[in-house]
Amino acid sequence: MNKFNQIAEFGKELMTLKDMDNTLDLISTEAKRLVNAERCSIFIVDNEDQMLWTKLSDGIGRIVIGLDSGIVGDTYGKKEPQIVNNPYEDSRFLAHIDKKSGYETKNMLTVPIFNSKQAVMGVIQLLNKSRFDFDEDDLETLTFFANYVSGSLELVLMQESL
Amino acid sequence: MKYANTYHSLAQFGRELLEKKSLEDGLPLISEYAKTVIGAQRCSIFIHDREKQEFWTTIADGVDKIVVPTDKGLVGLTLHDKKPIVANDPYNHPDFMSEVDKATGFVTRNIITAPIFTSKREIIGVLELINKNEDFNNEDVRFMIFFAHYVSGFLELTNVYLKKH
Repeated sequence: MNKFNQIAEFGKELMTLKDMDNTLDLISTEAKRLVNAERCSIFIVDNEDQMLWTKLSDGIGRIVIGLDSGIVGDTYGKKEPQIVNNPYEDSRFLAHIDKKSGYETKNMLTVPIFNSKQAVMGVIQLLNKSRFDFDEDDLETLTFFANYVSGSLELVLMQESL
Repeated sequence: MKYANTYHSLAQFGRELLEKKSLEDGLPLISEYAKTVIGAQRCSIFIHDREKQEFWTTIADGVDKIVVPTDKGLVGLTLHDKKPIVANDPYNHPDFMSEVDKATGFVTRNIITAPIFTSKREIIGVLELINKNEDFNNEDVRFMIFFAHYVSGFLELTNVYLKKH
């Protein structure tokens, strides 16, 4: 099955979920599978408290960062995906999160998730693609994927805030 | 809040939509849902063919195609302005093509449109609703923007990626 047929199958499953935890979990599993990455975190934008938070990042628990911190914060600010294949040489990289989790980030791909008003409501972050670096193909796939899930995510976020 | 409960039924609609395997299968469902929720008489979805520089849309059954120019009418204006258009008095709107009404005998009383964007911010289609009992208002515009975005993933997947690969 090619990856776009696979996304169609994933979409059906996504639509059966009603709560945020399961929705985020399924999205992150699918994102990892699409680009062969080891870990995925989905950061949600909290405009009120001016921060980005994750529910449960793979293996590390909840992460909360400022809207302008790290490569994820930069993705939010620039509204553009980022490929970082040498994170330890990138001044934006938050090495202390690796230190805390004991996990070594080798490469990273981030993509913004836009809501219907074209504001960034979240950032998908993928870590450690197996064997190769992240490339333009991964970026295109994930850009499409972020838009594909954005409607469901916006709906779930709206319902949680009601 | 007319649409407060709508957001709950959207998830059910989304489930039905993603069961559809092709764009042509999904379009009638999208039209029907939009019409019911907004309370309009007609709904058309114009799919943008960038190569041919035209829009196509289908009759109710989703099979026969009608081709529409991209540089005319309120649908063309939506593509040009990249934002929703509300015309509650279409016959006095400079871009309204009243000759279509004249040819078909249909009377357009009001129109609302919204562009549908791909993940690359290109316009993949235009959603158009015609003849609501009252005027279209800001709440309708907000819902159209939300709804156009909600269905955009399905449209992009079926019209671009599943065709290309």
